[in-house]
Amino acid sequence: MANASAVRLLGQENYERLRSSRVLLVGAGGIGCELLKNLVLMGFGEIHIVDLDIIDLSNLNRQFLFRQRDIKQAKATTAARAIEHVSNSKLVAHQANIMDVNQFPLAWFSQFSIFFNALDNLEARRYVNQMAQYLRKPLLESGTAGFDGYIQPIIPGATECFDCTTKETPKTFPVCTIRSTPSQPIHCIVWAKNFLFSQLFASSGSMSADEDLGTDNVEEIERIRQETNELHELQELIRSGDKTRIRDVFEKVFVKDIEKLLAIEELWKAREKPTPLYNFKFDEKINKNLNTVWTIQEQVNAFVLATEKLMQRLSSEKQIEFDKDDPDTLLFVAAAANIRASVFKLPLKSVFDIKQIAGGIIPAIATTNAIIAGLSSLASLRVLNLLKNQPKANPTELNMAFTAKASNMSNNRYLSNPQLGPPNPRCPVCSIARGVLTLSQNDLDTMRLSELVGAVQEKYSYSGEVSVLDKSTQRLLADFDFEDLLNKTLAEVKVARGTILLISDEQDSEESIRAPVELYIEQGEPEGINLPDIEVPLIKPAVVEPDETNSEEGVSMPGEIILDEDDKNPKKRHLDDASETPAKKALKTEEEHVVILD
Amino acid sequence: MSSLCLQRLQEERKKWRKDHPFGFFAKPTKKPDGSMNLQKWEAGIPGKEGTIWKDGVFPITIEYPDDYPSKPPKVKFPAGFYHPNIYPSGTVCLSILNEDQDWRPAITLKQIALGVQDLLDSPNPNSPAQEPAWRAFSKNVKEYERKVIEQAKRYTK
Repeated sequence: MANASAVRLLGQENYERLRSSRVLLVGAGGIGCELLKNLVLMGFGEIHIVDLDIIDLSNLNRQFLFRQRDIKQAKATTAARAIEHVSNSKLVAHQANIMDVNQFPLAWFSQFSIFFNALDNLEARRYVNQMAQYLRKPLLESGTAGFDGYIQPIIPGATECFDCTTKETPKTFPVCTIRSTPSQPIHCIVWAKNFLFSQLFASSGSMSADEDLGTDNVEEIERIRQETNELHELQELIRSGDKTRIRDVFEKVFVKDIEKLLAIEELWKAREKPTPLYNFKFDEKINKNLNTVWTIQEQVNAFVLATEKLMQRLSSEKQIEFDKDDPDTLLFVAAAANIRASVFKLPLKSVFDIKQIAGGIIPAIATTNAIIAGLSSLASLRVLNLLKNQPKANPTELNMAFTAKASNMSNNRYLSNPQLGPPNPRCPVCSIARGVLTLSQNDLDTMRLSELVGAVQEKYSYSGEVSVLDKSTQRLLADFDFEDLLNKTLAEVKVARGTILLISDEQDSEESIRAPVELYIEQGEPEGINLPDIEVPLIKPAVVEPDETNSEEGVSMPGEIILDEDDKNPKKRHLDDASETPAKKALKTEEEHVVILD
Repeated sequence: MSSLCLQRLQEERKKWRKDHPFGFFAKPTKKPDGSMNLQKWEAGIPGKEGTIWKDGVFPITIEYPDDYPSKPPKVKFPAGFYHPNIYPSGTVCLSILNEDQDWRPAITLKQIALGVQDLLDSPNPNSPAQEPAWRAFSKNVKEYERKVIEQAKRYTK
C-alpha cells in the first residue's frame, strides 16, 4: 500500500527510493521510540533497531512503545513488536551493543543509507560517528536533556562531525574541597558517594600492590601503611561484619577526622569551623519519608541502619557499587552526606534530593524527545535528498537544530536552526586519513607487528619511526622508545577484526611530517597486506616552544590542540549568534555525573 | 577516552622526548598484556640542588582522565609521602592541577613536573593536606627538615 501523503510530499520517484532505503536506528529509548514510530510512518523500507538495554519501570512514562508487561524485556525487540501492526517497513531488531565488532563489523554498517543516533552516552555516539566517517555515510545525531535538545546532521567530509567540537564534560571538584573544606551540600554528597562509600564498600581492600613506597624496609613499609591507611582499617572493620564496630567507624569519620582538620588552624582563618559530632548515640527511630529533611538523630540512625545492611551484604557480595536505585547504598550516602553537612554547618537535604544529585538525574521530558525525534526524521528527508520541491542540498546548506535553553529564551524563539559548519581541520577524528585493512585469519596469526609497521611505512611514505596505537582499547603498541611488541604476531598483541590502529609519524623533523593514518582491521580474504589507497598528506610538525612558559592563560599549544576557552564562560555567548559553531552550544552530554578528583 | 585525549597524550610523549628538564624521567606504564598505557605515567622528580630535598628523586604517578585535556591529570606520590601539601593518599594538591583554579588545557607534562618540583621546597602553609608535615613545618622546622632529609635518602638518585 502506497502512502498517499508521502507520495504527494516526495513525488513517486523519491517515494520509491524511500521505500527501498535501509536505515539504522541506534537506541530504542526516549528519542528512539519516537523516532522509530516516525520512520515507520514515513515508510522507510527497512529499519534496523539496535539497543542493548532492557525495559525498566522508570522508562514507561515516555518510552511509549513499552507497557508494564514489557518490563525486563529487550527494548529493541519490544519496540519493533509494538509498532509492527502499523508498520509497512521491514523491522529488524538487535538486542546488542552497537560497539560489538563481532556482531556489527564495519561491513555490516555499510548496508544502510543513513544512521540515526538516539543514544544516551558519549562513547557510543563517538563510535557511530567514527563508523560514519569510515563509510562516508550520513549520520543524524540527536540528544535531549530535560527541556533542551538538538539534532545535528553529519555528512562526512562535508560538515562538522560529532567530535569537531569539544563536549562539555561533568564537573569535577578539587580534592581539597571534598576532603577538607566542603562549602556546599554537593561537596558532602560527592565525599559520601565517591570517597567514603567507595573506600568502605567498593574497592577490594588492600593497597594496590604496585604502589611504590620507595623503600624495601619491611618495618618502614608497615609504618607507612599503618600511618596512612586508616581508611583501610575502617574497611577491615566493615568487612569484619561485627556490627558493634559501626560506632568506631562513625567516630573516626565524624569526630576524629574532623578534630584532625580542626588542628590545622590555617584552614579555618577565613572559614567557619566544623564541629565534630560529639556525644552521638544510636536509637531505633527511623524516618521513612524520603521527601523530608530528617533530624540529625534520624540521619545518624539511618547511617547505622544502612551500614548494617551493607555489612551484611558484603559477606555474599564481594563489593558493592553505588547505585541510586539500590536503597541501601542510597541511604548510606544520603545519611553520611547529611551528617557531614551538619558537621560543616551546611544545609541538609532529603534522600530524594540526594538521589537526584548523586544519581546525576536530569528529568527526561517526553515532549522534548518527541520534538527532537520529529526534527531528526524530517531532517533525514533533506539529507537523503528525498523532498520533491527542494533542490538537491549542498551539505553545508543543511541545518542543525537546537532548542533555546528554557532559562534563556531570546527573541521568543524556541528553535534555532543554523546551517551546518564545515569540518574542523584539526578535528582529532574526521581530519585523520583513514581506510580499511582486510587481513585473513592466517595473517593475524602469523604476521608480526613489525611486518605491518614496515608495510605501512612503505605504502604511505613514512620516513622513519612511527608509533602504533590501538584506539579501540587505548593501548600503545609501539613507538620510538617501545619496541617490545614488534616481534609479536598481530594475534598476540590482540589486533583483531574491529581493531582501529592509529599510526603516526614520530619523525623528529623541523620541516614536515606525514599525517597520521587510521586503519580499521577487517577480517577476510585474500591473504597478505593490501593497504588501502589513501592520500596521507604532509603536515607541519608540532613545534616545541622555547622554555619560558609558566602556565599563562591562552598559551597556544604546540601541536594545535583545540582550546575551548569559551566553554569556561558560557555567559559570554549569545545564543542566537549562529556564526560560531552552533554545535558547541547545543551539544551537551546527557549525564551530568559528579566526579571527584581523588 | 576521546580521540582528542589520545592525540594529546601522544603529543605529550613526543614533546617530553624532545625536551625535558635534567634529572627528570617520565614514561607511560605498562598494561598487563605488555602494551603501554598512555593514561597512566610514572615519573621521577629530582629535589632541587641546594635544598633539603636534593638527595632524592621522588616517584610520582600521573593519571590522565578520559576528558583530558579539558580536565587536569591526577598526580600522586607514594601514600604517606611527607609534605604539607600532599594528602595521606599521596595525591598532590597544586593549583595548576585543579580544574577550578589554574588548570589550562595547554599545560604540558614538563610544566607539571617542574611545578611539582617547585612545590617540594616551597610548600604552601595555607592549603595543608596532611597533618604531620604541616604541623612540623609550621611549628618545628628542625624536625620538619630532619624528616624531609630522611625521606630524601629513601628515594636516592
